[in-house]
Amino acid sequence: MTGFLLNRAAQSIVSFWGAISIVFVIMHLSGDPTLLLVPEGATRADIEQLRHLLGFDRPLIVQYADYLFQLLRFDFGASLIQRVPVMDIILSRLPYTLWLGGCALALALLIGIPVGVLTGLFRGRLVDRICMPIVLIGQSMPTFWSGILLILLFAVELRWLPSSGAESSVSVIMPAVALGALSMATYARIARTGVIEELSKEYVRAVRAKGVSGIQVVLSHVLRNASIPIITVSALEIANLLAGAVIVETVFAWPGLGQLAVQSIASRDFLVVQGLVVLGAFTHIGLNFVADLLYGVVDPRISLSRRDT
Amino acid sequence: MARVYRPELTRALFGTAAVLAVTLTSGSALAAGKDALLVTIAGDAASLDPHVQWDTDSYTVYRNIFDNLVTRNAKGEIVPQIGKSWKYLNDNEIEFELVDGIKFHDGTPLTAQDVVFSVQRITNPAFKSPQLSQFNSIVEAQVVGPNKIRLRTSSPYPALMAQLVKLSVVPEATVKKTGDVEFNQKPVGSGPYKLVNWQRGVRIDLEAVPGYWRGKAPFEKVVFRGVSDPSTRIADLRTGKADVIRNVLTDDAPLIAKDPNLQVLSVPTERIGYMFLNALHGPTADVRVRRAIAHAVDRKGIIDALLGGYGKMVNIVLTPANFGYIDGFQGYPFDPAKAKALIKEAGADGAQLTFITSPVYDQRVVQAIQQMLGEVGLKVNIATSDQPTFLKRRQGNPAEAGNLSTGNWSCACQDADGVIYPLFQSESIWSKYKDKDFDAAVEAARTTLDEKKRMDAYRKAFELLERDVPGIGLFQGVAIYAARKELQWAPTPNEAFFVFDMKWNG
Repeated sequence: MTGFLLNRAAQSIVSFWGAISIVFVIMHLSGDPTLLLVPEGATRADIEQLRHLLGFDRPLIVQYADYLFQLLRFDFGASLIQRVPVMDIILSRLPYTLWLGGCALALALLIGIPVGVLTGLFRGRLVDRICMPIVLIGQSMPTFWSGILLILLFAVELRWLPSSGAESSVSVIMPAVALGALSMATYARIARTGVIEELSKEYVRAVRAKGVSGIQVVLSHVLRNASIPIITVSALEIANLLAGAVIVETVFAWPGLGQLAVQSIASRDFLVVQGLVVLGAFTHIGLNFVADLLYGVVDPRISLSRRDT
Repeated sequence: MARVYRPELTRALFGTAAVLAVTLTSGSALAAGKDALLVTIAGDAASLDPHVQWDTDSYTVYRNIFDNLVTRNAKGEIVPQIGKSWKYLNDNEIEFELVDGIKFHDGTPLTAQDVVFSVQRITNPAFKSPQLSQFNSIVEAQVVGPNKIRLRTSSPYPALMAQLVKLSVVPEATVKKTGDVEFNQKPVGSGPYKLVNWQRGVRIDLEAVPGYWRGKAPFEKVVFRGVSDPSTRIADLRTGKADVIRNVLTDDAPLIAKDPNLQVLSVPTERIGYMFLNALHGPTADVRVRRAIAHAVDRKGIIDALLGGYGKMVNIVLTPANFGYIDGFQGYPFDPAKAKALIKEAGADGAQLTFITSPVYDQRVVQAIQQMLGEVGLKVNIATSDQPTFLKRRQGNPAEAGNLSTGNWSCACQDADGVIYPLFQSESIWSKYKDKDFDAAVEAARTTLDEKKRMDAYRKAFELLERDVPGIGLFQGVAIYAARKELQWAPTPNEAFFVFDMKWNG
């Protein structure tokens, strides 16, 4: 188990190094960041002067070493546009994204999994035939469209909810629904497949034969075994939620990291963009690592078999 | 075999739905108070320190917190603000007399030294202000009397007053005490509104300053919120979460205009939508091809079909909102037959042109032009890249710069010097055009303060541009705002957003 963990940790570190190097290359080789920072009408001398002040005229390898060294100290530099440390900017927006993502994930799990289990149990029956199309529509609607529809209905027509922002406690509802709808469908489908698969297995019949009640079979056996794919998908889904937040936060003007990313790209604040991408890579890699650990907790056979490899 | 579990699971599912329904109905719409003006702009301010950023979202907010040395009136003329009067001592030196008795929000009086400090701060290269190039012709600022300051420029600089319209005056003592970083978070100015709270990404709250020296501010409170999605901004306006919104899309304007509670406010700006033609490389190096292109582009069609009429046709690469604009140039009227003839004459039938662009520019316009040129026998290949790569090509060697591109140019100075000098003067990074007479004309126009001489020089410059066509003026940009019907406000060509000039009707 320890060997496996060390191995996975080492892999994660290498992936992370790869990711941050790609970020650096894209930022520095696709064009000159200085050109984005000067106003229209700046002369060649103005550009040269700024390039020197920002240190972009140093050899790339020196800038790269500097960049790695800074990241080791969790220093993302200071935003050239806002004149505030990038870390402070990100930390001020992070709670909003965590809250939105948490609400969306809770919605997705609390609705998606029961729906999936239900449709799995009643496969081919009325519940299944009504729920699955709804779930699929939810997954097929692009959030920038469903978001606007939600706003038109609940804010403009019914006046139940605020159209944008994060100033009131109910502001989170619409963005969470829009963001959660995507994952909800994924969870429902995975849970449904898992339940159908497990129900057809021998052990279910054996347990039932022992006299265990139907509800108990589902709760203590079927669901536990069907949860392995759900955990795998969760790691991916949380990452997807962060990516989906870019669109949802933009539509609803939710002041989280997604909106920050869009605004920073628009205002050419490339150190903030760089910080966000690095953070995103870190989250992705970290979540996959955690998912690997969780398999062992849920299903002891996984850690046993992996110890041998 | 599964039907046994139905009751429990169905109940669980309904329970979840019920909780959700209760949460949904507990929401309430926000009502707009009449003593507060709610403004939705496209994004949060990047900086509230007026010497740092000059982007729309930032200055829309901070220009209400600060006073400027001079300002523009409704007609666009430069009129006094902190600077009560001024006179040129010679071509390079100007002296300002300042209004007495202005106080900053923290109670300290605004002195001549604060004005001098403001100039020195924004022109200090180490401060790295993105606005540096607008002010760096000022080489010296000094206090010459209790309420008198003198500015010296490196050479006669006719756009100086136009630039000083944007010079916000900051309190030296406060900036030095708090430091630049802190001052950006908690700016202190002398303007009609003071900052109460800045919740980054969420909202900015301003409050009227009692006893403001230019009169009573029209609203007790002003709230700015950044909403980047244009449809959501309109939803804010419809739900009363906003009284006025910025950056309305041309497609949305007609719908808003139909709403009896709302109005669309628009104004032609100093922003010029233009097309660049590489006069130094490829098929466009032939002036006949460039003239043919000018004849082939249906500018009125672009304005009517793509911009919903929100654009004004121009025949030169400058808008009437800029000093140096000259009426009466004929330009190249839309005439595909003439374009075809010119292309034949140049032997350029079927020539391949590269149209460089990036997602920053309106791709509908790019594609429309591609089609228009295709119809007269030119094959246009659109090369889209990210903005840094685009800029590298556009500002680089003529051989790398492609043949065509579009742009939206604004110098934020309303002067031809900030437009055609950087675009076409042969030494400029943007220019792919070389003409000694043109260089001499724009140089002459920037080194004299005599307005008549300047206009003559610009007439000459525009004649040369019309002859050589290194660029085509497509349209004068229009700024579109939407507001509640009761708001009374006339937006200005420089896109300033002075809340002080607005009020409720009746």
